[in-house]
Amino acid sequence: MTIPGFILRNAFRNKRRLILTVLSVALSLFLFTMLQTALHELTNPATTDEAALRLVVRHKVSLGNVLPTKYQARIERLPGVKTCMKLTWFGGIYKDPKDFFPQFAVDADKLTQVFSEAQFDPQQIAAFQKDRTGCIVGIKTMERFGWKIGDRITLQGTLWPCDPELTIRGVYRGGVDETNIFFHFDYINELMGKLDIVGTFWLVAESAEVIPELIKRVDETFANTDAETKTETERAFVLDFVSMIGNVKVLIGSISSVVVFTMILVTASTMSMAIRERSREIAVLKALGYDGWQIFGLILAESFGLALVGGTIGAGGAWFLGWFMTNVGNIAAKSNNLFIKFEVTPHILASALIITTVLGIISCLVPAYTTIRTSVVTGLKELD
Amino acid sequence: MAVPIKYNLRNLLVRWHLTLATMLSVALVVAVFVMIMALARGLKSTYVSTGDARNLLVLRKGSTAESSSQIMRDEVRRIRYLDGVARDADGEPLASAEILILINLERNDGTGSANVLVRGIGPVGLRLRPKVKLVEGRMFEPGMRECVVSRKVAGRFQNCRIGDEFRSGRTMWRVVGMFEAEKTAYESEIWIDADEAREVFKRNFYGSILIRPVEDAGVVAVMIQRMEGDKQLSIRVLPEVEYYREQTKTAAPIQWLGGILAVTMSIGAAFAAMNTMYAVVGARTREIGTLRVLGFKRRDIYLSFLLESVILSLLGGLVGCLLSLPLNGMATGTMSFTTFAEVAFEFRITPDLLGKGLVFALTMGVLGGLLPARLAARKPVLDALRSS
Repeated sequence: MTIPGFILRNAFRNKRRLILTVLSVALSLFLFTMLQTALHELTNPATTDEAALRLVVRHKVSLGNVLPTKYQARIERLPGVKTCMKLTWFGGIYKDPKDFFPQFAVDADKLTQVFSEAQFDPQQIAAFQKDRTGCIVGIKTMERFGWKIGDRITLQGTLWPCDPELTIRGVYRGGVDETNIFFHFDYINELMGKLDIVGTFWLVAESAEVIPELIKRVDETFANTDAETKTETERAFVLDFVSMIGNVKVLIGSISSVVVFTMILVTASTMSMAIRERSREIAVLKALGYDGWQIFGLILAESFGLALVGGTIGAGGAWFLGWFMTNVGNIAAKSNNLFIKFEVTPHILASALIITTVLGIISCLVPAYTTIRTSVVTGLKELD
Repeated sequence: MAVPIKYNLRNLLVRWHLTLATMLSVALVVAVFVMIMALARGLKSTYVSTGDARNLLVLRKGSTAESSSQIMRDEVRRIRYLDGVARDADGEPLASAEILILINLERNDGTGSANVLVRGIGPVGLRLRPKVKLVEGRMFEPGMRECVVSRKVAGRFQNCRIGDEFRSGRTMWRVVGMFEAEKTAYESEIWIDADEAREVFKRNFYGSILIRPVEDAGVVAVMIQRMEGDKQLSIRVLPEVEYYREQTKTAAPIQWLGGILAVTMSIGAAFAAMNTMYAVVGARTREIGTLRVLGFKRRDIYLSFLLESVILSLLGGLVGCLLSLPLNGMATGTMSFTTFAEVAFEFRITPDLLGKGLVFALTMGVLGGLLPARLAARKPVLDALRSS
């Protein structure tokens, strides 16, 4: 019998226990991977090269306060600014509050320059720019409601006292979020009687180097005015939101460690069961001339293999579920865009693998240690 | 005749390391479950306790939150003097036109900033909310850029203690009083005068009107009909209690997380219990044979092993409940998806939640024990006695 054969036979000697253990390791790693992915999605919002150049200017008091539109011209004149676009979160209701999707009123002529990673059709963009009541819709929202180009939709304002009636002029794909809808800022501004107020300005900087200077310059320009501004990178802006949800990091981090700890307990106790039950055989092996390290190697290989199979099933299952939720399950719509996607990254898979490895080693340390130290005679005498 | 429980207890003691490991894994699952549910519960009860059953809230039609609702000044004038609105001894209507404003303040613990709700209230605003009590300092004086803060906000944010001043926009606000609000959502707010708020934050509208209606239900029904039917008033009226009940949906994702985690982890722990019980049954085969020879029935053996598994997991459940207890009353905060402001609340561990945790443990014990106990009961006596 070969050594691998011997290890396999040992592993399979109690099939029930093997299955139960593998399954509990798989469950734990499944949970671990899902939790880490959730944490990753929440704290590392998807980002692109284009996004790194984008800055958001908001009212210093909070996002709930608005800025005068006349700031736009002054921002555009600042050195380092490539484009400056008005953007207001509309937050209206389409039919029912449950039909939520993000809605933004923007400068129609600047949309493609600012969100340059999304793919727009030039003809559709031209049609959108010509029609004051036109809008551009993300492919996911299009599909969700079964809309076609040319359809008319009405949004009921909740934050803003107006109900824009929009005509779909185009679709965009790609970019970070394919659920948004963009329409003309000028249109709602008119509906509200030319209040000339805007939620935020989105800037594209000329290069990454000018960003720190630019942030200072924008905020200094409006210091000591009625509406002081706070400028930050898109990433910092998004992370601000996440930090408000609460101490997600601590919560998920502590749950993950509890899960891992529980898993170590379970696997270690199973391994010790498995090894104690064969203390006689191990004594026989010793009597045959195997030394402690060789026996330890056999036990380690078994425990490691067990953990690895469980880990692969668990992390693989999580990866598949993540893929399914992102591509088939439409997680973005179901979670109110809390999760745009649910992607188990290679990084997370790698950490799951490392944990599995550590688990395999730790869980056999104690039982292996006791067994190896047991003398041949005591081992042979053992009954249980 | 049942096998004495003492037999099970002593067995658990003999294999204490295995018992301990299994017990701990059940304990951890129960602790995680209780903690997450306590979080959801604390958040929910904060909202549920906030509304006053006697009050009505007036919002703009289509608005789901006070912070996004807009009510014009002439609308407020028309509503205040409607027949259904109760009056105080001086004939002043018990209606408070209010406005909610989000401001961004730095946290005390250096973890950045968060949105805080500033509520501009009318002169009767405090009277309409008997749960809110000024505990230190005095009420703000309108027009003096003064505010009162809740004790929780004072603790969580910089420059919010009495005598401190914090800056928002170009205005410095002086904190002159501190209130407590019986763990309601008001404990996450700062209060100022409504008209001053409109002036400073440049709003030409109010957000909502809180009304104490007269006690005559018929008059109130007529008033609501008049308000909602009026074409010039684009508003909706709802009981304050209902408004806050809707906000409990903020807790939904937490409950979700708790539920999914608890179920998945408990399956894992049930596997652990099953493994342990199988090992126990295997190791005690001879004892089982002996018990049978002594006259115990198959059913007795079955129940005895099931009981052992249940005792094991219930012990784990108890430990888990104990582990979670220190969290009770701990303050934390999250963002409300209705107002986008931080709402402070406390973990709430109630006896029934602990009971649920124990039921969870019990289920794990039963699930983990069923199959091994059946195996034990079905062992043929002679084979069992012969096994080494």
